[in-house]
Order: sequence, then structure tokens, then C-alpha cells
Amino acid sequence: MTSLLLRRLAALIPVALGVATLTFAMIHLVPGDPVVAMLGENAQPADIAGMRHELGLDRPLWRQYLTFLARLASGDLGESISMHEPVARVITQRYPATLELAGAGLVVAILVAFPLGIVAGANPGGAADLGAMGFAILGISVPHICLGPLLMIVFSLILGWLPLTGRGGLYHLILPAVTLGTAIAAIVARMLRQSLAQVIAADYMRTARGKGLSRMGAIVRHGLRNALTPVITLLGLEAGALLTGSIVTEMIFAWPGLGRLLISAIGNRDYPLVEGCVLTFSLSYVVINMITDFVYSAADPRIRIGPQ
Amino acid sequence: MARGFFCCCAIALALNACAKHAPLAPPTYLQVDINVSPGTLDPRFATDAISERIDELIHDGMVRAGRDGEFAGNLAEAIERPAPTRLIFHLRRGVRFSDGRGLTARDVKYTYDSVLDPASLSLKRAGLAEMASLRALDDYTIEMTTRRPFAPALAMATLGVVPAGSGFAQARAGFAPAGTGAFRLTRFRPDEAIVLARNPYHSYPRDAAPGLVLKVVPDATVRALELVEGICDFTENDGVQPDLIPYLASHRDLEVEESPGTTFQYLIFNFRDPRLRDLRMRRAIAYAIDRDQFVTSMLRGTARVATGMLTPENWAYEANVARYQYDPAAAKHLLEEAGYSAGDPRLSFVYKTTPEGRRLAEALQAMLRKVGIRLEIRTNEWATFYADLTRGNFDLASSQLVGINDPHQYYLIYDSEELPPQGMNRGAYSNPEMDQLVEAGDTELDPAVRRKIYARVQQLAAIDLPYLPLWWVDNVAVLNRRLRGFEPYPNGSLRSLATASYLPSPARHRFDD
Repeated sequence: MTSLLLRRLAALIPVALGVATLTFAMIHLVPGDPVVAMLGENAQPADIAGMRHELGLDRPLWRQYLTFLARLASGDLGESISMHEPVARVITQRYPATLELAGAGLVVAILVAFPLGIVAGANPGGAADLGAMGFAILGISVPHICLGPLLMIVFSLILGWLPLTGRGGLYHLILPAVTLGTAIAAIVARMLRQSLAQVIAADYMRTARGKGLSRMGAIVRHGLRNALTPVITLLGLEAGALLTGSIVTEMIFAWPGLGRLLISAIGNRDYPLVEGCVLTFSLSYVVINMITDFVYSAADPRIRIGPQ
Repeated sequence: MARGFFCCCAIALALNACAKHAPLAPPTYLQVDINVSPGTLDPRFATDAISERIDELIHDGMVRAGRDGEFAGNLAEAIERPAPTRLIFHLRRGVRFSDGRGLTARDVKYTYDSVLDPASLSLKRAGLAEMASLRALDDYTIEMTTRRPFAPALAMATLGVVPAGSGFAQARAGFAPAGTGAFRLTRFRPDEAIVLARNPYHSYPRDAAPGLVLKVVPDATVRALELVEGICDFTENDGVQPDLIPYLASHRDLEVEESPGTTFQYLIFNFRDPRLRDLRMRRAIAYAIDRDQFVTSMLRGTARVATGMLTPENWAYEANVARYQYDPAAAKHLLEEAGYSAGDPRLSFVYKTTPEGRRLAEALQAMLRKVGIRLEIRTNEWATFYADLTRGNFDLASSQLVGINDPHQYYLIYDSEELPPQGMNRGAYSNPEMDQLVEAGDTELDPAVRRKIYARVQQLAAIDLPYLPLWWVDNVAVLNRRLRGFEPYPNGSLRSLATASYLPSPARHRFDD
């Protein structure tokens, strides 16, 4: 298992290289000079030249790229142009907020999706199925930009139960997590319902019922585990999407996460910070997928990853 | 193993989320919602509007602009001009920085020297280009000389003063050096909040707020909700979306104050394009745009149709200029005269991607279509938009000039030597008469003569149309009735929050424990 984990971690290196190269190329190719954007049109030519030299932007692009790779190899993400702080430090300060929000969103998604999916899958075509799937379609259809303010009006303004914005304790986390997790809950619930509806017709389920288990008991003890494989795949993909998809939610709830940092970095043409944020998001995505692979084997011992 | 890892992650997440987070600031602080995070709170580096507004609460300059755009003493109790190129500032005695040090001329000299130091790469160096020297004559007297008689020289004395020895490195990392202003910085969390406590050496009314929390809330609807809930006490201008003003005004705890502002929204023509060098085309576009409609519908009356860059409140404003009322027939006639048939001129319009920018672009496109001009819209985020403006990569573009006090700005935007990338004459406008006027306006020290020069500048600009004036944006402040005594300034200054009376909000910090 350890050697497998190490192999998977080693596979991160080419991914990181590819992402770093693509990000470097894209941010340097789009129009907009960070020095002019920072200094403004009143800047003296000497100031522009001085700043360009200080940031190393007066060198050929290929040399800038090689320097960037060399720094990256030593774990140095450079210094933010707009914040004048090491990129690694800025990201370290902001990443926990994004992880916290994405994690809470995933928890909400699971807590909502599983009961809905089980109820709907256990009674395909019934009233509970229609109700649960109707809710799922609603969840998918309402964008974060609408759902967030709607939840704020109901739970903060009218009921006064939860705070509107900002990052604080558990109370502050509930509304953004529900906003972020609802759409994913809807998708996962639909997948679980489909998967469970197929499993219920299997022979081993009839056997379980024949041995005296109740319908719900058979579903929970035997059906659910077998129906989980596609759901885990989906959750893995969605967990990655939660990290990057939290940008809108972070804007609505004034959540000081990595998404907002990335948006302002792009606006400021803060090359090192954009590269650092994108790299963090990408590697997080890969790591989450790796974790998903390991969770497969825990959920279904028939699945073995790595060499047989 | 996987289960164990998952459990560890879940526990860490839960612990972090449930951890007791200390409140940002005491509950008695006044909360101001802002839409963007300031870049820096060092007055030697800050150039964006929000940074300058917050800086003004922490740092004082030798002079500052009043409501009419004229400069008056701030740290300087008296100002003399013994010669056209020489200014003497007598500093107030007994002024202290928030760290307890007393203010002397040495601090003023150090502040200017540090900005002018090439190593600082300060964006404010360009604003001091006309300054020849700055000397401390004694502990409380500063002499400033200019390279030539320079009428707006006092604008160079607005720079916020920092204590001698304040370094650069710290200053750039979201740190504010001590100042002599009403407040001192206690916490700066980028994209989250800025907390200001009172400067212990600066007196303030007993019923005023003991501190300010400037909370960064990017979404306009959410800022409105925070006002309604009573968490936020004050927001203004970019913080208020015109569509939401009726909703906010209907709330009994809130007050909406509208006052004339100096922010100038304009449409710029690119004179590099021969079609737009033709005055008939520019005038046709001016007649085709219904600016009253923009102000009443899109801006919900929170602006005034502009006749030029300077507002009527400015001492140099000239009302007797050519005006272009909405007249599509006149626009069509001018286009025909210029040899165009319907749909023939095809122009590109660039704007910064904001909801207001999009609405402006769509409305302009519809209005110009009515007279036969096809407008192609390019939506760009700030850096690309700015790059297009400085490279002349546009036909029409719209933007704003913020915080205009002195008509010296005319030199920057109209003089033919002020071309991008170093200058602000983005449309490459050139008229020798205009050059002569704006250069004379800078060196003329007699206010009456200067006033006449700028009257002619405004008349010529209204005929030549290098810029089509659209509107002056009003200052709109929404405040809770617990806050009394707020005084609006045309440039959006927040300085009166230091003295306004304030009763703390019971709604805030309910969820801090």
C-alpha cells in the first residue's frame, strides 16, 4: 500500500509540470502588463523599467520560464507582485478557508444526497421518488448566485438564526456550505437513486429478504454498499469541483478563500500568485482523485488498485 | 488506512470549523462595508480610491482638499507663497503620531525623500515631478520649491506624512506606518477586513465611534442585506447599487444621502482612427446618445448629466459651453454629411467587465444603432481593458476619472505631449490651441486669470469633443440612523466618520461566541 501511495505521489510531478507550464503560458500570453497596471499611466519610464527589472520581466520569456521551473523545483513559488509577500505564505493563509468551505459543502452534499437517494431508489416511481427527484432537479437548477442570497434572507434576515457573511465559527459556515453543497447533493442523489434501483433487482437482495431482513434493512446492509461505487467516483470528481467552484460562493459570503485571491490576482496580472493558486487547485484535484481511488477499495473489497 | 485518513480529515475540518474565532473588532466599532480590498495603507504607495480614503483616516498631509476642490492647511497651520516657485509651510505644534512620536519637519522631509528615492518605485513619484526641492528650514517649517511657477503645487503637499525611518518592505506588505490622523491600523486582513482603532494622541468627540471596521463585502446585494440587518452601519458610492436604493430607502433604520460627486464618466474617442478624427462623426455620436435616459433609468437618478470634466461645485467650472441634447435626426444628418449610409460605420467599444459597464455598452449599442452606427462590444477585465486603452486598441471606450480637484487634470488628458503609455491622453487628441491653454493654466498663479483660461479650455473641449462627457456620479451614502453627523465630500472622503456620533449596533457580534 505504501509503495502504491508513493507511486501515485510521484505521478503528481508530471501533472504539476504540465499545469505549471500551461498556467505560465496562458497568464503571460493574455494582454495586460502587470507593471503598467500597477504603476499607472503617470509612471516615469525609469520606474517602469526599474519595476520590470526587479520582477525579472525584462528577460526573455523562455528564461523567465526556466527560472520559474527552477524555483518551483526548490519549492519556491516566488513573491506576489501585488501583495509583496511570498506566494506560499499567502496561499497557506487562504487555503484553509477554501478547504473548510469545500469540506463542509461535501458534508452537506452527502448528508442531503444519501437519504434522498436511498428513499427514491428504494421506491422507484413512487411518491417519495418523485418528491426526492423533484428536489434534486431544483437543487441542480438554482445557481449559487441566487441560492446564497435567498438563504441569507430567510435564515439571517427573517429568522435571525445565522450570520450573513464572513468566516468565524460553525455558524458562519452553515449558509455557504449549504449553498455550495446543494447542487452536488442533487447530482449525487440522482446517481445513488439510479444505482440503488438497479441493485434492488439483484438476486442477492432477494436472498437477503428471504433470510428475513426487512426491505430497508436489506438495502442498507447489502444494497447500499454495492450501489456506492459510481457514487464515490462522482463524489471524488465533485469534491475537486467544489474547491474551484467555491469562487462564486466565496464572493457572495465574503469568504476569504483562495478563489477570491485568484480572481484579484488575475485582475492585477500577479503572475506568481496566479500560478501558485492554479497549481494549488490542480494538485488538490489530483490528490482528491487519488484519495477517491483508495476509498473505492475500502467501500468494495473486490476492487483492488495497483498491480494484482 | 483510507478510512483512517478520511476520519482524520473530517475531525480536522470539524475542529477548525468549530474553533472559537476571536471577533475582528470590539462590538462598539462602527462597521463600514467596502466592495474591494485596499492595495496598501502606506500613503507613499497608495493610489487606488479605497486605499486613499482609508489612508486619509490614518495619515495627514500638510494640506488637504475641501468640498470646493480648493486646498487648505491640515498639518500646516499657515502657508505662504513668497515667490512664484517657492512655498513655505508652517507646521502645527504638539501633533503626535499614533506611536507617540512628535511630528517635526524632519518627518515631512523623510516622507518626501522616501517617495522620491528611485528604490521605492513609488507610484506617487510622478505626482511630484514638478517639485524641485523640499527642505526643513527648522523643526516646524518646510520649504517647497517648484521647477517653474506651478499653480496646482499645493496638490503635491497632500501626501500623507509618515514618521522618519518608516521602511519600505513592511509598508508594502499590508502594513500602515504610524500617522497623525484620527485612527491607527490594528488589523489588516486582505479581502476580509481592516480594523482601525483611535489614535491615542488625537482627540475625538465622546459620542463618536471608538474605532472602525472596514469589511470587504464584494457582492452589492449582500452589502444591502448587511445594512438592513444592522450589521453594517455605513456604505457609500461603489458600495451601493442604484437598483437597491429604493429598497434601502424604504427601511426605517436606514437613511440614504445623495450629494453631488466629482467622479466623471466619459466616452473617449480614438483620434488615431480617421473616421473619429472627423468632427461630424463625434458630434453625431454625441447627438445619438440620450444621456438623460441613462441617468433616469440605468442610474436611477444617482448622477447628473455632465457638460465637461469639472462639476458645477468646482471653482473653475464653466457653464457656458456647447451642449448636445439627444437628437437622432441631427445625428443621422451629420453622418450623411460625412458620407456614411445606415449601418456603414462599424465601431468597436471596449469596457471593463462590470454589471454597470455591460448595461452601458448595451444601451449605447442600441442608441447608436438607431442612427445607423453599428457598435461591436468587447468586454474585458481590468488589466486587458487598461492595456487596450494605453495601446490605443479601441474606437470608443468608457471609463471614469475619480477625485478631480484641480483643473490641472486637463493638461494630463488633453495635452498632445501626454500620450500613452506614459501619459493619459488616451485618445491621442491634438490641438495646438488646447496645448497652449492647458500649459498656460498650469503656470498662471493669478486665480482670476486661471479661471478664464480654464473657461476657454472647457468651451474648446465641448466643441472639439475629445471626450464626450456622460455624467457626474453622485455620492450616495447609505447609513444607519445610529450614525449621526456624517458629512459627505464630493470626492467620497470618509473623514467625517471620525467625528460623527455613533450608537453601537446590537445586531453585530451575535454569533461571535
